[in-house]
Amino acid sequence: MRFDRRISRRSFLAAAGVASAALALTACGGSSSSVAASSASGTASSAAGTAQGGTLNIMLETEVQSLDPQIATDGTSFEVIADYTDGLMQMDADGAAVPAIAETYDISEDGKTYTFHLREAKWSNGDAVTAADFVFGWQRAVDPANASEYSYMLSDIGQVVNAAEIIAGEKPVTDLGVTAVDDKTLEVQLNVPVSYFLSLMYFPTFYPVNEAFFNTCKDTFGTSPDTVLSNGAFKLTDYQPAATAFTLEKNPDYYDAAKVALDGLAYQVIKDSQQALMSYQTGALDMTLLNGEQVDQVKDDPEFTSVGAGYLWYISPNIDGVPELANENLRKAITFALDRDAITGDVLKDGSAPCYTAVPPQFATGPDGSDFSADQTKFAEFCAYDADKAKEYYEQAKSELGKDSFTFNMVVDADDAPQKVAQVVKEQLETTLAGFTLNLTVEPKKQRVQDLQDGNFEIGLTRWGPDYADPMTYLGMWVTGNSNNYGLWSDADYDAIIDECTTGDLCTDPEGRWAALYEAEQIVLEQAVIFPLYGQCNAEMVSSAVTGVDFHPVALNRVYKNATKSE
Amino acid sequence: MKKYTLKRILTSLFTLLAILLVLFILMQLMPGSPFNDEKLTPDMRAALYAKYGLDQPIYIQFFRYVGNMLRGDLGVSYNISKNTPISQLIQSRLPISIQVGGMAVTLGAIVGLVLGILAALKRDTVVDTIATIISVIGVSVPSYVFALALSYTFGFKFRWFPMLFSAKDIFGSSVLPSISLSMFTMASIARFTRSEMIEVLDSDYMLLAESKGISGPALIFRHALRNALIPIITVLAPLIVDLMTGSLVVEKIFAIPGVGSLLVTAIQSNDYNVVIGLSFIYSAMYIGIMLVVDLLYGIIDPRIRLAKGDD
Amino acid sequence: MAEKAIRLGGESTADAIVSAVDAMYTEHTFAEKDFALKHNEDEISVDTNFAAQNFWKEALIRFFNKKSAVLGLVLIVVIVLLAVFGPGMNSYTYSGQDLSQKNFAPRVPGIEQFGILDGSEKMSTTTGTKVTNAYQEKDKLDVYYWFGSDLYGRDIWTRTWEGARVSLIIAVAAAIIDMLIGMSYGLISGYFGGRVDMVMQRFLEVANGIPRLVIVTLLLLVLQPGMVTIIFALMLTEWVGMSRIARAEMLKLKDQEFVLASRTLGAGSFFIIFKEVLPNIIGPIITQVMFSIPTAIFTEAFLSFVGLGIPVPQCSLGSLISELYNSFTTHPYQIIPPIVVMSLLMLSFNLVADGLREALDPKMKSM
Repeated sequence: MRFDRRISRRSFLAAAGVASAALALTACGGSSSSVAASSASGTASSAAGTAQGGTLNIMLETEVQSLDPQIATDGTSFEVIADYTDGLMQMDADGAAVPAIAETYDISEDGKTYTFHLREAKWSNGDAVTAADFVFGWQRAVDPANASEYSYMLSDIGQVVNAAEIIAGEKPVTDLGVTAVDDKTLEVQLNVPVSYFLSLMYFPTFYPVNEAFFNTCKDTFGTSPDTVLSNGAFKLTDYQPAATAFTLEKNPDYYDAAKVALDGLAYQVIKDSQQALMSYQTGALDMTLLNGEQVDQVKDDPEFTSVGAGYLWYISPNIDGVPELANENLRKAITFALDRDAITGDVLKDGSAPCYTAVPPQFATGPDGSDFSADQTKFAEFCAYDADKAKEYYEQAKSELGKDSFTFNMVVDADDAPQKVAQVVKEQLETTLAGFTLNLTVEPKKQRVQDLQDGNFEIGLTRWGPDYADPMTYLGMWVTGNSNNYGLWSDADYDAIIDECTTGDLCTDPEGRWAALYEAEQIVLEQAVIFPLYGQCNAEMVSSAVTGVDFHPVALNRVYKNATKSE
Repeated sequence: MKKYTLKRILTSLFTLLAILLVLFILMQLMPGSPFNDEKLTPDMRAALYAKYGLDQPIYIQFFRYVGNMLRGDLGVSYNISKNTPISQLIQSRLPISIQVGGMAVTLGAIVGLVLGILAALKRDTVVDTIATIISVIGVSVPSYVFALALSYTFGFKFRWFPMLFSAKDIFGSSVLPSISLSMFTMASIARFTRSEMIEVLDSDYMLLAESKGISGPALIFRHALRNALIPIITVLAPLIVDLMTGSLVVEKIFAIPGVGSLLVTAIQSNDYNVVIGLSFIYSAMYIGIMLVVDLLYGIIDPRIRLAKGDD
Repeated sequence: MAEKAIRLGGESTADAIVSAVDAMYTEHTFAEKDFALKHNEDEISVDTNFAAQNFWKEALIRFFNKKSAVLGLVLIVVIVLLAVFGPGMNSYTYSGQDLSQKNFAPRVPGIEQFGILDGSEKMSTTTGTKVTNAYQEKDKLDVYYWFGSDLYGRDIWTRTWEGARVSLIIAVAAAIIDMLIGMSYGLISGYFGGRVDMVMQRFLEVANGIPRLVIVTLLLLVLQPGMVTIIFALMLTEWVGMSRIARAEMLKLKDQEFVLASRTLGAGSFFIIFKEVLPNIIGPIITQVMFSIPTAIFTEAFLSFVGLGIPVPQCSLGSLISELYNSFTTHPYQIIPPIVVMSLLMLSFNLVADGLREALDPKMKSM
């Protein structure tokens, strides 16, 4: 219900220059167009110099976990950090990386050296933003003493030279492949070419930290307006750790200050969605998140919108640990018995869209520029709701296993949406498959994740957000031995394809690789290794007085730099 | 009496230490870990455990914690508010819980006592029935429903009070939460006062007092209430601690930055230091109040010999 | 009047025995047969039966003379009957979903003709208030949900009574176990005092000093969630209040003459605690039991709120309220039935408790 929707937005999108946000919005229901439209008009109006000010009142679901860019891991913290800090690159309205502190950049021919040329920008204490600030920030991220949870952004995903060794404690932090050539030139060395590297730069783990200032704060860094420095559109005016209300104001020293229309941002943490909507109705809030039940109340309201959250929710059967679930026909029976339209349309109602692929749509774009999973009917024959097929497979499974009835336990997060989904899933399976019983075990999310990782479950309801803009961020999960292959499923053909696409010949053959990935995806769905359910969206209210707020399904969820508010 | 007081204080300290140990053991039993996410690799988790010393044996962790605690260091939060000292979290949040809880206790105790006394004096009349109904509603409607109804009516419809807690208007924005919080206390106190008062009013010494010509408020307050107070205090004391340490539900609905909602989040996200720190504060307050209550017994009712040990 | 007669009767019998003994005492030498059993079991049993019957009969009379107590009892009986038979009164099951019939407002055959409970609801939306009737819109005119249906299209009538059943079982079981444990603990601690009291109270402080939520949550996380675990969790944490009451009462009574008298006559400690003191404090104990019933229901409701209550799709009154809470501003009719049933249940337990308390209090009887 209203608990711990502390969404850890570990997932982030490295959508190299792709208009993914617009796609995400379209998928999240018809009403989303209003935001896309207003965001476009907002950008236009502010560019035309007709900006309107005011303070935006924003509802948050959870408190900020940390304002230290290298320590923070959740979406709320990232959003606030990005309000007052600019990285080398920034997210534009479509989620593409555009230059920010870096005015220009060069990429070497082998794609392994990036040179960023920094613009004249200032920290709020008057110091210039220099290349050394980035070096210090990045070194903090990989320093084992800091144990930054997102250090893998530099090592596994960013492939920065020596990052992995430094994290493992094998080399000193100074060996990291990033150097300040001079005050305004930053050079980054990569192990291998990383096509989405630029889009990593708007991710807060890569943000600069002023070393001299940091040393004056040390342990208190990021705990109050006096212990953070701003180089972004806003600056912190009132904050304390775990505050439920805090404010930012426009930063007059921001290099792009002329384009920032708002006077400030006022955040308010409200964990009860009904209170939040009432506050919104009284005008105390300009933006608020809704609960699926409240959609009935607002669905005719033009201010209602649905925003992609970037997660695929799916069910993972423990194939290795439960003998019955090793039976493919039983698994197929289950996936065919799931009516995903009913789950999203009748119960969630927040705009979440049914998903019939193992890789959700809207983040991975192929060589031809099209979305990897745009065609949701491609594998529908393997999983789309079909009661007759389900019963057919169920009968086969029954005779193969010599059993007439099955009882399984499904572990579910103690949050509102998963519990709702689980109850419908239970009902659908038990209605369609005679003699099938699904019991639900509701646990706090941390415990549920651990149970899945330990193999201590029969069936699990879980989710996954993309790490980078390639289908591999999903398909890589089901290779033999991967820690997120909860069901311990193993298939030699599948492993071979994935291997070929990661390190084999297909690496250099984008079209061939793409086709091979579809083959791999088909194996996952055909053998019902997972039962995909839906792509998550959040229902939000955005006041009609507000335009130009950029919503992104991942990384920085909301960006206010271009926003305006009319009185 | 002095000896007894000293002894009680010393044992209270030992009790606190025992509680701390139990809390530590409980944390070990807790399933899950503070660093748990789909994307965290085992290596990274090990690094985080090492960073916070969670890889050490429990007795080392315990003694280190006690040592640090004596220096006023309660450790840092692991994931609710990363690396923030627990003492800082408590400093900023506990006063708010105490303030809202204090308002609720005062309101609940006063209204409850008045209702209870009235009901007892006018037993089996309309007054009694009304008091009963009010107190029954108080104990039977869950506080979150009550809070939301209050908020909807007085915050949203009539706009008399703010719907959300605000640091700028602490008193005004505490009115609705305090009322919602006080309902249960008020009802409990009212019922208990009524039941105790009736017993006292029916007792022989009240008859005696009456026959000596004492009447009116003196009779009720000096003779009746004084005797009814002992069990009432017994009931009230733990309620005070409960309210002062914040309520998850009411804090959540009115967006109050108190410690109640923090504890629940901490338990769910295995933020050990926050759970231990907040629980310990709770325990200390609880034991402190129990100590006061025990000592008060002797003052209110001299018949109770506290130093029973040397009887 | 009746009481006086009995007491007089008792006194005169005693007098008669005393004088008879006096008469015999003067010059009697004991013989073997003097110590033979008298074989008057019949008379003895008649005596105890007489006494017992009298006390309970009077208690019963007093109880039934109190209208509010009777009303409470009737309510409890009605709710219990509905909890037993209610879920079977229509064709729905407590977990059966029909997503095509979700969020239907209450509609009762017969009453609907008067314009109420006819399945229409007034919904306040952000764009204004609108009146809808899902039965007509979805063309389900032959369908009736007496209390409406929830967001999964489950019948709220069935779920309310199913929830009442679960809540009653949990609350009564927890309250009785609490009473047994807490009462014994408090009485023993209070009676013996001194070192025993000191140790027992410190143990209690440790047990109670840890926030309830921490213990209960942990227990529910470690054990298999379900009704028995919840009862166990409530039992572990709720006995403390009872023991405090029992101890406080014991402290009030232990120095009184009747205890002293009993002890002088050679009664053992446990006899005094459970036979002499206990009957005198049954009033506060019952009041406290009646308090632990709502507390138990509440704690369960709170656990549901935290997501650790009775596992879905099973329900208790508490879990229903916390589940339907989300529809409070959207479809308020959904949350009303469980709240009303819960309040009525509380009210009736309180009324019965009051009645019982006054009926059973031996001090009141003797006056």
